[in-house]
Amino acid sequence: MSHHHGNQSDEKVLNNPNKILLMGNPNVGKSIFFTELTGVHAISGNFTGTTVSFTQGQITLGGKEYTLIDVPGTYSLSPTSEAEAVAARFVQSGAAAIICVLDASNLERNLRLAMELTTYDIPIIYTLNMMDVAERKGVSVDVMQLMVDLGAPVIETIATKRQGLDKLIQSLEVVLKQAEGCEYSCNKCEGCPWAAAREICNRACTKDVNANPSFLDKLGDAMMKPKSGIPMAIFVMAAAIAIIVFGGRGLRAGAILPLVNNVIVPFFRNLFTSFVPEGVFQNILIGEFGIFVISFEWILALIFPYVLMFYVAFTFLEDTGFLPRMSVLFDNIMRKLGAQGGSLIHVLMGYGCAVPAIIGTRAATNRKERIVISAAIAFAIPCISQTGALMSLLAGYAWWMLPAMIAFSLVLFATVTIIVGKMVKGKVDPLLLEIPNMLMPNPKSYGRKLLTRMKHFLKDAQGPMMIAILLAALLAESGVLGIIADAAQPIVSGWLGLPAEAVTALILGIVRREMSVAPLLALDLNALQAFVGGAVSLMYLPCLSVFAILAKEFKAKVAVTIALSTIVVAIFVGGLINQVGQLFM
Amino acid sequence: MSFKTINLYDAKKEKVLQVTFVPSISLLENLGLRNGTKVVVQSRYGFGGPVLCRVENAFAVAIGKDIATQIAVKEVSSK
Ligand SMILES: Nc1nc2c(ncn2[C@@H]2O[C@H](COP(=O)(O)OP(=O)(O)O)[C@@H](O)[C@H]2O)c(=O)[nH]1
Repeated sequence: MSHHHGNQSDEKVLNNPNKILLMGNPNVGKSIFFTELTGVHAISGNFTGTTVSFTQGQITLGGKEYTLIDVPGTYSLSPTSEAEAVAARFVQSGAAAIICVLDASNLERNLRLAMELTTYDIPIIYTLNMMDVAERKGVSVDVMQLMVDLGAPVIETIATKRQGLDKLIQSLEVVLKQAEGCEYSCNKCEGCPWAAAREICNRACTKDVNANPSFLDKLGDAMMKPKSGIPMAIFVMAAAIAIIVFGGRGLRAGAILPLVNNVIVPFFRNLFTSFVPEGVFQNILIGEFGIFVISFEWILALIFPYVLMFYVAFTFLEDTGFLPRMSVLFDNIMRKLGAQGGSLIHVLMGYGCAVPAIIGTRAATNRKERIVISAAIAFAIPCISQTGALMSLLAGYAWWMLPAMIAFSLVLFATVTIIVGKMVKGKVDPLLLEIPNMLMPNPKSYGRKLLTRMKHFLKDAQGPMMIAILLAALLAESGVLGIIADAAQPIVSGWLGLPAEAVTALILGIVRREMSVAPLLALDLNALQAFVGGAVSLMYLPCLSVFAILAKEFKAKVAVTIALSTIVVAIFVGGLINQVGQLFM
Repeated sequence: MSFKTINLYDAKKEKVLQVTFVPSISLLENLGLRNGTKVVVQSRYGFGGPVLCRVENAFAVAIGKDIATQIAVKEVSSK
């Protein structure tokens, strides 16, 4: 049960003959099938490229263990992006069976991939998914005809509602049993896959031309018209920001802060004072800056409410089909910056966490685009943890500080995108993106996805936070912090105009982004100092996990370059803001 | 009656067009945009934005300006 982003163990998976490949065009519901069949949570989303690396999980069929692999979505086996190359390698490596997921509302193009798959000697079972969407669009499919033409089982499904899943499993068991021992044969496609796909589709599909467009289809169309779409997009974004800012603030003040202050921290305080003697050790555990005080105050009370509200909004939006529509509407702006609209999806993901966003850029068809967007995310897009901390930092001052910080980050984003685009050789590919149907998120899969994300957050955040606090405590107790603070004094105090203790933020910020902000909260900063501190942390090194993923996805050189330049630029620009600000104070 | 060939970026909206030439970009071909494919331009986005097309009356694709100007189409009939 593990998640791979493509590494050495790929070989092992490729060589495993007992694997079942879950394949299909992008965005047809593979991730949902995968989750339902294995119990491993693959994150789905209504746009091309949610599965850009493969995920594997175990599944028992007819008493035998198989590895089910959620292969990145492909339109064809001639790869056009890194994600598609992964898919091609999987089919070539052979498998016990392929589950080919077809989008019933868009059969012809889906069958084209199926035709290519039939040329490999692997038993195939087809699922005709999105039956509800097909019906909504007036498309009906003659499943018997399809089975005859494909020479393989075809199961109608609605993945989000679990419809047809039991039948799929039964059929899969039968197919695996039949394939055992004897030569497998199905209707192989020998000619042009497009022609064959069209022929089969024409025989099996009928479209009711008089079908009234549903509300969702009308909404989807309205979102794509520039005149109505741009105001709608701006409204949705504003609503999302309002949910995050006010929802997060409310949740924090109304529920989580009281819980932490009145229940959780006192519990640990009582627990530890009962058997740990007073002194340094007790201080490290539950003193004012103790592990069991700070980690709950920062992670649970400061950050979690905003993280939750962000994913409440984002998880909903990503399943509707809103994100690719944003890509189209704002492609022209992104193009002026030297990137393209498709990357906007990754940028928006980056407001949650930079790690999946940078992995997501694999769906880009072009390496330059990947580097430019990854650098821009590392520099200028604060993750939600950091945003939560920044909001708390700026909340004590004038109302316009937060909008000013947002404006600053947008200017920074544009600048970094343009500059890195000039530095990296090559050309960015123009936008070429399929726009999925608008979908209503299914409450159950929505809830499950949200829960998975929150569990991941708490798991990922708590460990590094504890380590960082321990590190801070050790640095402080050993006197090393004092030495560093003295050495950094000219920069931190002289140039940036912050109290010398602010150096803690710069050290802890290496571990997690919000920790480049959180220590500032206790320092009683004036408005200018708060803004400078916030701006520095925004630009500053994007946490260890991001550094690791940059090094993994690109060359170590790229990661080091990005990391070093963020530090230099953060301190340089932060100081400029301070020096200019001083003139007005 | 025959129609003259124009590029997709400049084509009229809401007309059924037949593709007569596509640049060799494999993603285009994989999406099903080939010679003979029928498309309808639904929207065009100013300031260098893409065109949005419905392909074979089945699915929508946004095509960046730099690609759309290289795709040749001719009008088949009005919708
Ligand atoms: N209405 C409907 N939505 C579905 C169905 N199957 C999947 N979806 C949605 O379609 C989108 C794409 O699914 P996903 O699993 O991410 O596709 P993948 O890219 O192939 O892995 C998600 O928003 C799903 O919630 C279905 O049968 N009916």
